[in-house]
Amino acid sequence: MKLVVTFHTTADAMAMEKACREQDAPGRLIPVPRVISAGCGLAWCAPLSEREHLGAVMKEYGIEEEALHECMV
Amino acid sequence: MNLSDSKKKLALAGAVCGLVAACLAWFGNPANMAFCIACFIRDTAGALGLHSTETVQYARPEIIGLVSGAFLISVSTKEYCSMSGSSPMTRFVLGMILAIGSLVFLGCPLRMIIRMSAGDLNAWVALIGFILGVGTGAFALKKGFSLGRAHMANRMSGGVLTAVMIGILVLALATTLLKSSESGPGSMHAPVLMSLAGGLLFGVFAQKSRMCFAGSIRDVILMRNFDLLTIIGSFFVVMLIFNVATGRFVPAFDTPGVIAHSEHLWNILGMYAVGFAAVLAGGCPLRQLILAGQGSSDSAVTVLGMFIGAALAHNLGLAASATALNAETQEITAGSVPVNGKAAVIICIIVCFVIAFSNKRNEGK
Repeated sequence: MKLVVTFHTTADAMAMEKACREQDAPGRLIPVPRVISAGCGLAWCAPLSEREHLGAVMKEYGIEEEALHECMV
Repeated sequence: MNLSDSKKKLALAGAVCGLVAACLAWFGNPANMAFCIACFIRDTAGALGLHSTETVQYARPEIIGLVSGAFLISVSTKEYCSMSGSSPMTRFVLGMILAIGSLVFLGCPLRMIIRMSAGDLNAWVALIGFILGVGTGAFALKKGFSLGRAHMANRMSGGVLTAVMIGILVLALATTLLKSSESGPGSMHAPVLMSLAGGLLFGVFAQKSRMCFAGSIRDVILMRNFDLLTIIGSFFVVMLIFNVATGRFVPAFDTPGVIAHSEHLWNILGMYAVGFAAVLAGGCPLRQLILAGQGSSDSAVTVLGMFIGAALAHNLGLAASATALNAETQEITAGSVPVNGKAAVIICIIVCFVIAFSNKRNEGK
């Protein structure tokens, strides 16, 4: 089970990757899992335990998530 | 059925789409043009009288089937979602670029793969441009490119393009209002119901698998993810087997009769523009039709841009001509890209750069 963060735009996902790299937050970009969406955007995939850490990173960098999912990746 | 939980199922989706394309080629669609989004939109635009090139006018049921198939499967699986508002006019222009670049190369990315599977070396040359174009688009994404987010829209709004497509089908079947070519590529087609069924099936599998030619390369560049490329790979293999088995595999450049030309620079630049514009628009021409079917008005606007771009490509003399064999003299006339087409491709690429580096993530929030 992983934490999957989806975004409104691909650019937000790219900004998330940059922010996480700068903040040493774990995770990686993945295509949005098909079970979550029929769209073809990007999502951030991280361990479930990182929920609060990622929330803080997104708040600091002004990145708005579309939704947070817990799913098998 | 979840098609995307394993690479085997994704490969199966690509194989089914390949079988559909092979059947349509066998039953009458033009050589190496079994299933081309740009060509078929161009033909449909001609049927509606948007351009007057008499050899490429036919309301292609495949296009209608693709949009309708994506609509039906998305409604039945509750994935239909009416969305709009992500820079629609910019997407309209990107749609025009998708069509113009494709008609200079003589095919969309889908047809590029089909041509590659038939041994058309021009398509392999064009692949270089397509990959470079997608790579440039991916670079723009890394630099913060965004057309802004889409928002939920009135539920009916996302179904308008599907309704328009069904309207075109009714006009084609029940009236004589639409134009239909008596010679040339527009006159070559599989039976209407087979084309429609093929389009529906292709649309369903493309929606379920998220098949996208630009997205497949984008995902490899950005994430080293090969899921979407698996679909394209199996599609290519099925078409390769079909072409070899039916004697249609001809590894050459100047092959008459397959609707292609050998102006390498313009094959590369045409598909460069297509790859670049596809990443900026969020999907290749096929993907735009599928997204429009599942409710994206932004993609529907991109499709309208493709219709106008295709019409302009013929009205303004931008589209390339294909290498042809003179039946009387047996002389081969090399296909070429007109000066207008060359200028248009350069303008298209410049416009892509302007769009890519002037639309940033933090704008429009």
